[in-house]
Parts: sequence; C-alpha cells; structure tokens
Amino acid sequence: MRKPTPLGQLGVQLALAGVALFVLAPIWSIAYLAFDGALHGAPVEFRLWPEQFTLEVFGEVWREPAQSTDFLSLLKNSLFVSGGAALCSVAFGASMAYAFARYRFPGRSGGLFALLVGAFLPPVALMTPLYVLLEGLGLRASLLGLMIVYTSFSMPFCIWNMRAAFQAVPMELEEAAFLDGADALNAFWRVTLPLALPSIAVAALVAFLVGYTEFAIGWLFVESSRNVTLAMAISGGIRGGQGSWANLAALAILMSLPVVAVFLLLQRYLVDRFLVGVVES
Amino acid sequence: MNAFLRKLLRLLAVIAVVALALGLRLRAVERLPIDYDEDDYLLAAQHYAAALVQGDWAEIAGYEYNLEHPPLAKLVYGAVLSYFPQAPEIPALPTSAAPAASLPEPQFLALRLTAALQGTLAVLTLALIDPLAGLFLGVHTFTIKYTSQVMLEALPALTSLLAALAYLRSRGRARGRFDLWLGLSGALLGLTAAAKYLYAVVGLAILLHWLWSIRRLELRRASAWLPALAWGGVSLAVFFAADPYLWPDPLGRLQASILFNTGYAAGEQVQNAGLPFWQPLSWLFQSVPWHPGVFLFTLDALIALLALAGLKRAWAREPFFVFWLATAFGFLLLWPTKWAQYTLVLTAPLSLVAAEGARARLWEPFSAWRRRPKRLALPRFERRAWELRWREVRRALPWLLPGTLALGLIAVFPLVYQAAMALTDFQAVAIRDGLNGGVWREVWLGLSGQVEPVVVEPFSRSFTRVTEVHYAGTSLLTQVIFGFGGDILVFEALWTVLSVALQLALGLGVALLLQRRGVLFKRWWGAILILPWAIPEFVGALIWGRMFDPRFGWFLQATSFAETPGYPLASPLASWQDQPNIALLILLVAATWYGFPLMMLAASAALKMLPAEVYDAAQIDGAGRWAQFRYITWPMVLPLLAPAMILRAIFAFNQFYLFYVLNAPFPLITLASLSYFVFDANSGYGGQFALSAAINVFTVIVLALLLLWFNRWSRSVEGVTYA
Repeated sequence: MRKPTPLGQLGVQLALAGVALFVLAPIWSIAYLAFDGALHGAPVEFRLWPEQFTLEVFGEVWREPAQSTDFLSLLKNSLFVSGGAALCSVAFGASMAYAFARYRFPGRSGGLFALLVGAFLPPVALMTPLYVLLEGLGLRASLLGLMIVYTSFSMPFCIWNMRAAFQAVPMELEEAAFLDGADALNAFWRVTLPLALPSIAVAALVAFLVGYTEFAIGWLFVESSRNVTLAMAISGGIRGGQGSWANLAALAILMSLPVVAVFLLLQRYLVDRFLVGVVES
Repeated sequence: MNAFLRKLLRLLAVIAVVALALGLRLRAVERLPIDYDEDDYLLAAQHYAAALVQGDWAEIAGYEYNLEHPPLAKLVYGAVLSYFPQAPEIPALPTSAAPAASLPEPQFLALRLTAALQGTLAVLTLALIDPLAGLFLGVHTFTIKYTSQVMLEALPALTSLLAALAYLRSRGRARGRFDLWLGLSGALLGLTAAAKYLYAVVGLAILLHWLWSIRRLELRRASAWLPALAWGGVSLAVFFAADPYLWPDPLGRLQASILFNTGYAAGEQVQNAGLPFWQPLSWLFQSVPWHPGVFLFTLDALIALLALAGLKRAWAREPFFVFWLATAFGFLLLWPTKWAQYTLVLTAPLSLVAAEGARARLWEPFSAWRRRPKRLALPRFERRAWELRWREVRRALPWLLPGTLALGLIAVFPLVYQAAMALTDFQAVAIRDGLNGGVWREVWLGLSGQVEPVVVEPFSRSFTRVTEVHYAGTSLLTQVIFGFGGDILVFEALWTVLSVALQLALGLGVALLLQRRGVLFKRWWGAILILPWAIPEFVGALIWGRMFDPRFGWFLQATSFAETPGYPLASPLASWQDQPNIALLILLVAATWYGFPLMMLAASAALKMLPAEVYDAAQIDGAGRWAQFRYITWPMVLPLLAPAMILRAIFAFNQFYLFYVLNAPFPLITLASLSYFVFDANSGYGGQFALSAAINVFTVIVLALLLLWFNRWSRSVEGVTYA
C-alpha cells in the first residue's frame, strides 16, 4: 500500500472529523450545561456555549446532589450495592466456573447454554419476580435487596467469563502441582486462581459497572431517599423533567469520568472480556 | 407404475388443497362481517349490471363513480349481478364511511361467492405447479379475507399470477423470442392493471427479471428489445380495451384516476392511520387479527418465516419468484398507503418461496432424521463411558455447589416463579394475596383443573382493582405472542438488524480509514471515537434525550426555524414522537452512536490479522479498491466480527434506557422496555405484574432461540475463513 496523496490525506481527515463530530456533539450538548451558571431548570434556548461560565455547579452537586443526601452517601450506596454484587458474583461463581472449565460432566453443555442465556437476559426479565420475592422477604426496599438484584443480573456473565479465564490456564500446571502432592483444592487455590486473577478482576469490574450504572430498576425497588444510588440520583432529574439540568449534567460527568478512565485504560482487556461472552471455545 | 402413482398422489394433493381452500373461503364468505368499501363496490356492480342488461356501453364508459379503481373487477361483479333481479341501488357514501349495516341479498352473497371462486382458482393454479405452495396460499388468512369479501383483490391476484406463469412458460420455450405465451402474459398483465393498478407490479418484476437475465451484450442489439416491446404493447392495448372508463378520454381520465391514488396516499386518511413504513412486514407476520373464530388456521407468520428461510433455495430453483416477491415487497415498503389488503400482491410468490423453505427446513431434516443410521450397541464401551462420566460428576459436584445454590435462589427460582405469575392475573393491588402464596395456589388450582381460568384484558384497566390473584391460563401469554407481541417482535427484528448493520458499516468504515498507511493523528482519532463505548449506557441515553427531547432537545432547538427560539419548539422534527418513521431514524442514529465503537475496535483488531501478501497479490492481478474490499477484506473480516455483531444484536434486542428516555410511539419499543412500563406502577398502564411476567417469559424464549441460531451462524461463518 502506498502513502496517501495530500488530497487523500485531507479526505480521510475530513471523514474522521465528521465521525468525531457525530460522537462529540451529543456529548457536548449535555456537558456544557454543567458549566453554565445562568441555567436554572431546563435548557429552553439553543446555545453552543455556557451563557455564564462557572465551576460552581460542581461544588453545588458535591454539597447537595439530590434532596437531603450528600454526594458521599450516594457514592457509598453505589459502592456498597455494586461492589457487593461484583464480590458475590465472583465469590459464589468462581468454583462453578472452574467446574465448567475443567470437568466434562453430563449436562455441562446444557448448563453452559443456560448460563449464556442468563448472561444475555435483559435485567427487566428478572426484575419482575425478584420484586415480589424480595417483597415477601421484607428486603425489597433495602440496599441488601438491591445488591441481590444486581448480583442476579451479573452473576451468569461473571461465571461465563471466569470459565474462559480458567480454561486459559494450562492443565499441565495443575498436573505438576498434583505431582508435588497438592489436592484439587490446593491446585486451584495456589496455581490456577492466581494465574486467572487478572481476567477475574476484569469480569468483576464489569459486574460492578452493571450495578454502578443502573437506575431504572433501582427506582422501582427503593423507597427511602437514604438508599438512593448515584445513578438513581442523576436520573431523578430527568424523570420529572423539572430539576436543574446543570446539576444533572455535572453529576453525569462526575459519575462517568472514572468509568471512562477505566474503559480507556483497560480497553483491550474489556473488549476481550465482552467478546468472550459469545465465542464458544 | 411408480410414476403413475406419483402423478395420482399429486393430483389427489391438488384436489385436497383446492377443496380445503374453497371450504375455508366459503366459511369466510358466510362469517365475515360487512367491511369498509364492500358497499361501494356493490353499488358500482349494481350500476354496471343495469347498464349491461340494457347493453348501454356508453353508460358503462361514462360511469365515474369510484374512479380511483379501474373498472374490470367491478364489471365482472356487474356481469354476475346481471343474472339477478335488480335490487334498489344502495346509497353512495364516501369511501371513509363506516361499513354498511346491511346489503341487499342475494346480490351481496353472489358477489362474495364470485370473489371466493376467483380466489380458489388462484389456489388451483398455484397448486398445479406446487401443491404445497397452493396449500400455503389456501390457508393464508389475509388472502382468504380479501378474496372472500366484495373487494377488488381476487381478480387481479389471479390474473397477475397467470401473467407471471405465462411469462415463465414463454422463457422456457421461446428463449427470448416473442411467442404466444409472452403475448398471453402481456394480455393478462393488461387485465391485471385494468382490475387494480397495484397488482401491475408483477409487470415491473417481469421487466426487471428480463433485464437481469438477458446478456448485457444482447441489449446493444435492437432486436433483443423487440419481444419486450411487443409484450408491453400487448399489455397496454389490452389494458385500454378492458378499461371502458378510459374510452372517452384515455389520457386525461387515466391521469385523473392515478392522481387520485397518489393524492390519497399523501392525504389525511393515510396520514392519520400513522402506520410505519415497515407495516407490510407486520401484516406478513400476523394472521388477520380482527375476526376471531372465522379462520381455522392462523399460519401466516409461519408462512412468512418459511419464505424467509426458503429465499436462497427458491433463488436457485427459479429466480423469478424471488424477483416478484422482492419487487412487490419493495413497492409496498415505499408506497405510503399501507392497507392490509395490499399484501395480496405478494402472497402468491410468498407461498411459492415458503414452499421451498418448508422443504428445505422442515421436510428434508425430518426425512434425514427418519433415515438416520441406527446406532450400533456397544454395551461394554457404554458402561465404561458411564463410569467415566460418573467420576466427572463426583469430582465436579462440590465445585458446582455454591454457584448452583446461589443461582438457583436468585435466578432459577425467580424465573420459575415468573412463569407461574404469567399464568395468573396478578397485579399490584393483589400484592398481599400474591405474597401469601396466591400465585402458587391459583396455578395449582388451575393446572389441576379445579378452577376455570379468568379472562384478562391487559390494557383495559378494569381488572386492576381485584385484590386477589386468579388463575388466567395461557390467555396472557397467547395475547403477548399472537397479539401485540407480534408487532413488537417485527419492530425488534427490524431494529436489531438495522442497528447492527449501521454500527457495522460505520465501525468497519472508520477502522478501514484508520488502518490506512500514513494517516495523521491516528491515535487521537481512535481515542475520541471510542468514547461512546466507554460512557455508561444510561448516561448515553441521557445524552440522546437531551438531543431529541420534544421540549428540550438540543438538536431540535438548533433546527428550530421560528423567530422566537425555545419552548414550544418550532422545529419540524419536534413532533417526531407521532411519526414512527422519523422516530425509527432518530433511534437508529442514537443506536449507531452507542454501538459503532465496539465494532470499530473489533474490526481494527481483525484488520491487523489480515496478511498483507494477499493484498499485494490482488494488486498484481489488477484488483481495484472495491474488488479488494469485496473479495478479500469482507469475507476475511466478517467471521472475526461475528462475536461483536452477536453482542451488539443482543444488546439492541434488549435495549432499554434509550427507549426509557426517548418515549417513541408504539410499536417502537423493545420487549424489555414494555415489560418495565407495564410493571412500573407510576406509568399509565403500570402495576400489571402478570403481564410483565408473560412478556418476560416470551423474551426468555425468543432470546434462547436467537442464541441457538447465532451460535450456529457464528460457527458456520468460522468455517469459511482463511482458505
């Protein structure tokens, strides 16, 4: 392939700039609101730029992001719910994933397919019965209940991914451990698990993000404002359409920044993690 | 003897199919209520009958009533009526008026029988070439309905089929010369156009097929065009001869008549119907919904599915039928008027293609399964295998235990409970009873036959005050699957296919640009373009809500042309929530934004794996840019993109937040979003736990089938890589 001519270069750059505009313009449409000190309520006028540039909005949402809750307690709720879900998914799922990776028991392929279906079920498909069942246990409106719900969304995906991670660890390493006198549990704990840990961490991160960015189902389950998560607080603004869009935009930026950073840093691993979901080994 | 037996069997099959078709049509003639427009056509027929009896052709030619439709089908009805005593003419009402309360008998019955006879003749014709296709046309409910009422569909449906078959006959014999069959085809096309314009689309299909099949070089010779010109000439001549309305002023009246149709298509009545451009697809994938109990078989969706599966094979057998189907379907998609009866322009080729699909996907797998080789019994070996498997189970069991327990509690049991909920009328007010085991109680009572199922009407709101759970049988599930679920599923299929295709196109396109040698700022562009992938999904939905919200949409504000910008928006797009086509476009723009970065990442990784030598070799062979893409890049990259495509497809199928924020009109909604809305007590139709559960059960089934199919597909595309 030859080097592009200047004209060709220009064409390619213009095309890429066009796509970049398509990517960035919508993001900007909401991002600039966070820097607009003159905006109270909803944006009814077309602007390209904040009317009155300020960073004050970020301070405001830090102090009081939603009614009668502070940012830190929202974050704490978010971390508890989604971190707990990720931890449970990995802790309860790891051994099952190992069994699927190492043993050829009857019903294995059926189980794998069920896991795959489970991993791709829309969260709503489990929400309906969980609502009733958790209501029966008196857990429905609690943070623990929400954690259970998010665990059920992300666990099949985690198991599926950890299975791939365990499978990538060569059998020979375990066999060497057996020769040295290790039993199955020891070989798993000392050899396979440490080697698969990076992939498991990525799977857990994905599970974490499921809970961290979920709001619609959270709003159905939670009643008290003490149990609201960060994502729910943001969405609360648009539900009524009345709240301050500047606050909403600032919260959205605050909450997205760490996620975007993680995605950009771990780009390669995450793409692999997502795609491994559908590739049968 | 064997050949004779085969012929006899075939003849019996044809007879059985025709008898069934006739029976179904007679049943429909008897039971269908009087529909829109039947009175109009009856009135026209009465008028023609009176004129025919007096032999007054000037009156026939001068008659201008119902001028939007050419008169041939109405004349045939008139000819039938001329054998009956004259009844007083029924009042002429505008076409938009409600159906007449009663029509004069026995005239009305006679006309319906005439239509049914013509419809049965079409089935007979089709059954003679392919009994299975005849069967499909015979049981197709929309075809039955509109050929058993006093409509204009039966005659042109028959003549268009005959015109197509005559054309094929001529191709087989005359090999591009003009012969009697081609002349007959032209004449039948003329009759078709004189009965109803729309059905002349078969002529377009014939023309396209002829252009495609003829050698390109031959087109340079003038003589190659002669048969086509003669065919067109015959059809025009017959059209004018069979259309007395045109006789006094051919061009002026033809113009008036056709302009009426285009005006109608752009007019208020069609606009108000608000049907999306893909409505013909919806008609194809459902049975007639308005007349429960009239049709014995409701297989329309199956026939459409089989046709989809049979396209490839039908193309190999006889490309013309695929041409016909595609031309007619394309026309229906483009034509703004979307009435259900228009599907009859393509049910004949649809049935033929579906017959191929049935043979390929149903009959052949079945007969292969029946003739499968018997397995040899190897008892010793089997016992050894059993021992091995048992050992594996014993070893795996302790590992499986924690995960099985957890998943069983938080996923499997809820799904089972949900399936039980779907069999009841459980809703928010009955939550106390539901919590105290009401769902299990009612399902047990119902399944053991101790209580009769209650009837649930999901969107009527009348039942939502009942504080107890009741067994409802499968009524909710059937309503979801065969009722509104069908419309949503058609939208879901369209939505999934289009969004994945757009994401693939943009993602692959950008990856190809970025992969070129010497492009500046590659890394910067790459980092910017993957942003939508990194942004949490619900923030993405917020962003698109901000872009297209009817009140606060940034894009709408930017395109607002009024003097005073702002609220309420003056943008022509502000009412997009009432316009399904524009709504689909907006949703697709957002979906492309969401999804193309992953495709770009996957495509970039895949492109790096392609060997450069192949391109060098192709360049030496003189392959241009397009040829390189078409024959090297595309076939080699596609299998590598299959996982990303499947992932995006499932994501699109389940997409929720976008629909949650943007509020598109029905049926532009995914099953997941609908389930949420009917569950959420704050929404208009909320609190319907059982309906939500039924939708979810349906979703799980569809998703499992999709995954099975995707699995097979990704394996089959992997098979053709890297020659």
